[in-house]
Amino acid sequence: MEHMGIEPGRLQFSWVSSAESTKFVQVVTEVTQAIKELGPNKTLVKSIPEVA
Amino acid sequence: MLGYIDKIKEVSKRLLEEGQVEMVIGFRKGTLSMMNEPHFARTPAEVQNFVWDSNCGINLCNYLTNRTEKIGILAKGCDSRNIVTHIIENKIKRDQIVIIGVPCKGMIDRRKMSSLFEGEIDDVIEDEHNITVKGAGFEKILNKKDVLQQNCAVCIHRNPVIYDERVADLVDEQTDIDRYADVREIEALSAQEKAAYFEKLLEPCIRCYACRNACPLCYCPTCFTDESRPQWVGKGQDTTDVSTFHFLRAYHCAGRCTDCGACERSCPVGINMRVFTKKLEKDCLELFGWEAGLDPDVRPPLDTYKPGDPDDFIK
Amino acid sequence: MTDWEPKIVAFLCNWCSYGAADLAGVGRMEYPSNIRVVRIPCTGRMDPKFFMAALREGADGVWVSG
Repeated sequence: MEHMGIEPGRLQFSWVSSAESTKFVQVVTEVTQAIKELGPNKTLVKSIPEVA
Repeated sequence: MLGYIDKIKEVSKRLLEEGQVEMVIGFRKGTLSMMNEPHFARTPAEVQNFVWDSNCGINLCNYLTNRTEKIGILAKGCDSRNIVTHIIENKIKRDQIVIIGVPCKGMIDRRKMSSLFEGEIDDVIEDEHNITVKGAGFEKILNKKDVLQQNCAVCIHRNPVIYDERVADLVDEQTDIDRYADVREIEALSAQEKAAYFEKLLEPCIRCYACRNACPLCYCPTCFTDESRPQWVGKGQDTTDVSTFHFLRAYHCAGRCTDCGACERSCPVGINMRVFTKKLEKDCLELFGWEAGLDPDVRPPLDTYKPGDPDDFIK
Repeated sequence: MTDWEPKIVAFLCNWCSYGAADLAGVGRMEYPSNIRVVRIPCTGRMDPKFFMAALREGADGVWVSG
């Protein structure tokens, strides 16, 4: 994906067991933080022409 | 490479006469110069139409998918690797095909050729190293090496990897070439530059799906582009949809593409979509040490799990 | 755009992260509300077309978790 022009970090992978709720919360926070830093996504978004 | 033809005819004729195969797939002269077309010889007499020169770039493996009869097929290095992939993916049975191996020295890039001349090319005559191009008001001799398809220029599997018959001695494989210079160039760009580069690259795409049709890997009964519920990708020429199509098609070829160049060759607007498949090919080689279609008995990396598989991307 | 909040599509495996998310809910733990969860039967169900579609429809990030 990074080769296609999506910023690294826009797409994240992780592995959390079903018993690890703490890790889940931690990963959500990290992912959200990382993407917040990247700002809004501009690549590959389909712009829908506005119809009057 | 030009001397192969007698042997090709001889072998094909024998296979058909002995009833070993019901048809032999090869090439015949196309209506335009530099455009040889596939030829399906079903009788020994039809073998006479076979030709072999440097314009046989189409990947013949494409015509094997889900066939049930016995087939003889001419196979260059890349074709043979795609045949192996077909066998791995159960699209054809090994005992159903007689592979006639054709050691290859690279195919001519017809687009590169036409771009060298103002007018239309009427005739192309080649010998072992040179090509004489004739057109309205010009005649020129070119070195074959200079007008090869880019994938042929960096090919390291010119000899068929699997064959039952062989029409000539194996040719020397190219060593010491930099296969991924173009991929590295793109890798060095920033995310924004990449996005801009690909947008420009794909801008002329008319979504004709010629690349999909020419590709021996694209045999899905319903392609994701034709699925309408849910619709994964729009059908128009919106930049997002065009790039989605090309990216996803490339993903589907990951670990399977042999860089035969059929997609690029078939593209009517000359897009080099091999930049996507090549990146995945490079990744496969670097991460899994895998090159597609070399051995019918080894499962591809995306099909198996090994404890040592790289997983750095997972947190 | 200081009050901008990202929209993140999370593809969670039914047996792993989805369970973890459930457990986090049961345990009343707090986490950012930017994620929109899509439950998939297994991470093996993940397909490139899912995240391409997510990004195309305006997601700012995609998170796949097994």
